[in-house]
Amino acid sequence: MKKKATALLLAGFMLLTACSSNSNTKNEANTGTEGNAAGSQKITVWAWDKNFNIAAMNLAKDAYVAKNPDAQIEVVEYAQDDIIQKLNTGLNSGSASGLPNIVLIEDYRAQSFLQTYPDAFQELGDAIKTSDFAEYKLGPTSFNGKQYGVPFDSGVVGLYVRTDYLQEAGYTVDDLQDIDWQQYIEIGKAVKAKTGKDMLTQDPNDLGLIRMMIQSAGSWYLKEDGTTPDLKDNAVLKEAFESYKELMNADIVKVNSDWSSFLAGFNSGDVASVPTGNWITPSVKASADQSGKWAVVPFPKLKNAANSVHASNLGGSSWYVLNNDGKEAAVKFLGATLGSDVALYQKLVTDVGVVGTYKPAAEGEAYGAADEFFGGQKVIADFAKWTAEIPNVNYGLHTYAIEDILKVEMQNFLNGTELDKALSDAQSQAESQIQ
Amino acid sequence: MRTLRRAPIYVFLSIVAFVSIFPFLWMIISATNLSVDVTQGRMLPGTHLFDNIRKLTESINLVPALWNTLKIALTTTVLALLVASLAGYGFEIYRSKAKDMVFNLLLLSMMIPFAALMVPLYQMFSKLSAAAPLIGVNTVAAVVLPTFTTAFLIFFFRQSSKMFPRELLEAGRIDGLSELGLFFKIYIPTMKTTYSAAAIITFMSSWNNYLWPLIVLQTPEKRTIPLLISNLGSSYSPDFGVIMAAVVISTLPTAIVFFLMQKQFVAGMVGSVK
Repeated sequence: MKKKATALLLAGFMLLTACSSNSNTKNEANTGTEGNAAGSQKITVWAWDKNFNIAAMNLAKDAYVAKNPDAQIEVVEYAQDDIIQKLNTGLNSGSASGLPNIVLIEDYRAQSFLQTYPDAFQELGDAIKTSDFAEYKLGPTSFNGKQYGVPFDSGVVGLYVRTDYLQEAGYTVDDLQDIDWQQYIEIGKAVKAKTGKDMLTQDPNDLGLIRMMIQSAGSWYLKEDGTTPDLKDNAVLKEAFESYKELMNADIVKVNSDWSSFLAGFNSGDVASVPTGNWITPSVKASADQSGKWAVVPFPKLKNAANSVHASNLGGSSWYVLNNDGKEAAVKFLGATLGSDVALYQKLVTDVGVVGTYKPAAEGEAYGAADEFFGGQKVIADFAKWTAEIPNVNYGLHTYAIEDILKVEMQNFLNGTELDKALSDAQSQAESQIQ
Repeated sequence: MRTLRRAPIYVFLSIVAFVSIFPFLWMIISATNLSVDVTQGRMLPGTHLFDNIRKLTESINLVPALWNTLKIALTTTVLALLVASLAGYGFEIYRSKAKDMVFNLLLLSMMIPFAALMVPLYQMFSKLSAAAPLIGVNTVAAVVLPTFTTAFLIFFFRQSSKMFPRELLEAGRIDGLSELGLFFKIYIPTMKTTYSAAAIITFMSSWNNYLWPLIVLQTPEKRTIPLLISNLGSSYSPDFGVIMAAVVISTLPTAIVFFLMQKQFVAGMVGSVK
């Protein structure tokens, strides 16, 4: 009896080790961060979105390998949340193994990584020329005056509009070149009256529109220092909240509940405009039957905020080098590709649809190409022009934490709470949570 | 008359059944449609199922990921059944003063969220990697070891053992069986239904396990199915048709396991001993 039981136990362990051993030999060769004495160092890159960031990084890799045949670069796909989780666990536990050499981090989150783990990232020094990049990208990607990130995609926003609906309501694209949010609402009402279509679709749980509005006036949820909440007496934020409420109360908003219903809003032709980042272009183009019916106009500005401009940002991310074995090779790779290669940026536009933030690239021919889907408009050139105009703000450490508070207060405000009270409540909540 | 009185119950049950089945129906229908149709809420089956599966296999390594997941889920299930049932059996059958205290401590461990254990666990395994690479990070063992036995499963086996007729053990002892022999020759065959229920629960939770495999598996070729689906969803312009095809494929094994063992599962949950 005993023999059989022991045999069963042993069999269990055999199964366990058998499953793990065959795959383990590969493991040792693959820990990208461990010193690799023989041959060239392998560079591991983490990013999300196969069709966007990964595709872009693969183009950079191909360009680099063509000139440096010895270079070994592995681009690994992870979901953005997974990268954050793995980075936090890895850096927290102090274990360098398993982390990549280069990682993509969203600009809104960059400062919290740079400040929480100051020794974990490698300064780029003179590997890139910071003055060559859009100014608004430099704040999030640097810390203590040192440049840590290679600025990547532009999150520059525009107002995507259905020209056919506008025409029905008596407007042309020219009428929308220089509007504020109040004028936008007026146009929205006219469109609704004439066509029955809503002007835009919004998810009440996503305050991206507020973020775009306040950055267009050079303001943010936090003060310049990046840590003090700036909600209570922030005139720009107040105006953004008021405009948002006007918008929501004007009966021109189709409410959505998640990303897929947001996409459905314009794919099915239910809304006349989409105010968002340029990275939405492929999703807009997914409805091929709407070709020629779209245009992109400058983002509306806030009416009263004196320094509000027709340019803002939503999302966008940058590449960071981790301070581990292989960092020299990684810095050299980034510097030679995304840090200086104008031809690469043309390919990024034509093959992937990435609008970069490297200013010299805007001279290239891909940036000047007309897009038939948008009625022949040179959308990339427009986006590149607006990118240079985006006000620089310090996203600081707590963008999403504060936004969670503001979502609730926004609902209170929409339901009748005084704006000053809502914002001062948000301020005290933010102060108690953050400090 | 009787049928008439029961009508409201049937109406209610039909509604509940529809609500529970609808997400599955929607998942399967969406897997056959283009992304644009999915976002527009098309409820009719389309013709793009094979397109979606082709795109899926082009964009991720589907078969190796399925194999990785299966390896982990099977190892976990076998070990979990063995260890948790031994523990549950021991807690119920043997007498000891400290028994209840130890058991309560064990139940308390259910209160600690996994997120709190994650960093120290990862530290432990990455230190282990140097000394014992066979169970260090990036191995199946590292995924299985911290997750295979849970306080819940031990609790489940202990509760079921309460109904186990002890006379059988006495009879076995008289016939000269050893203590382990009693467990393997008498307890396990008698408790088949409980084992099936436990197997289904463990297999499903291991198959869908996300956080720990994400942390501890490091190279792309080791990834499990839930991790790959997460990648698909993280795109700026996600292809919902392809995602749904992936979800259907990853749901199939757990559905098959469930349907095969459904009878025993229900019996096991109500705790019958045959």
